Amino acid sequence: MKTKIFLVLLAAGALCAVQPAQAHHAFAAEYDATKPVTLTGIVTKMEWANPHGWIYMDVKQPDGTVKHWTIETAGPSQLSRHGLKKADFVDGMSAVVKAYQGIKDPALANGRTLVLKDGRSFYIGSVGGPNDGADL
Amino acid sequence: MKCVRHRHAAAAVVLVAASLLAGCTTPAPEQPPPAAADTPYRPVASIREVMNSVIDPSADVVWNSVKTVIDHGRPTDHAPANDQEWAEVRRHALIVSEGANLLMMPTRPVAPPGAPSLAPGVELKPEEVRALIDKNRAGWNLFANALQDSLTPALAAIDAKDSQALFAAGDKIDTTCENCHQVFWYPNAGKLASAR
Repeated sequence: MKTKIFLVLLAAGALCAVQPAQAHHAFAAEYDATKPVTLTGIVTKMEWANPHGWIYMDVKQPDGTVKHWTIETAGPSQLSRHGLKKADFVDGMSAVVKAYQGIKDPALANGRTLVLKDGRSFYIGSVGGPNDGADL
Repeated sequence: MKCVRHRHAAAAVVLVAASLLAGCTTPAPEQPPPAAADTPYRPVASIREVMNSVIDPSADVVWNSVKTVIDHGRPTDHAPANDQEWAEVRRHALIVSEGANLLMMPTRPVAPPGAPSLAPGVELKPEEVRALIDKNRAGWNLFANALQDSLTPALAAIDAKDSQALFAAGDKIDTTCENCHQVFWYPNAGKLASAR
């Protein structure tokens, strides 16, 4: 019985592990629409997940250090609708992301557009973002 | 069924819009309706607490049960791998679905007494949410039912152990959450984001 409980807890733990915090809030509660950022760097990881995707990006700073950004995107079905595919996220992929910076976490952002090295551009914004024309 | 859900959502939006036009005075501190003499229900937690303690954590388990993590170009697919893991996801899907019933209990307060908006100026104060719910109880209940409906394909996918169908169902659940939040929780957030 103890083993069974342990296995269930283990399974639950495995399902819950490595997830970003996902408490639901309005865009304007988490991100600052007055702080647009353009991030040029290397995408190290992409979580193709519901309810939002997450892009992890290393961006070289003017002083030579690297800042690790976490960028929220729309959910996978929205990304697919805009033409983005999982296969687009190749190793060492350089990209430009336009986004809005987080209010509490300066390394967090809400993505609007993703431009790949080959010039393809994708709208990656989630619901409730500014009406900035990024989706046009 | 999809059309019915859309009609319900549209009806709720119309109902709440009419309520908003009817009066815009500052609501008094939240006073949930008194319990009817014949009801056996005794709400312990507020709607905010039910969301944070019951619905959201379980929805996260459902959402996170199927995903792909692409790390330095190497994709790893995650999905329930055995009966135990499927059962665990099913348990959480049921919690979300039944949690919707908790939201519809009329005497449940929106937030603990004196609790503020968690994002002032963006998300409504508890008393403002209370006023919207009280003016449009039918719309509130329609959204709660829509949440349950959005879990139906997820439960079917879980029972069929179909991870791709479960992944697709996750998007519907999020859309349903967002539709209700935009009416009852942060109705002005879109305008605010664009105005800033």
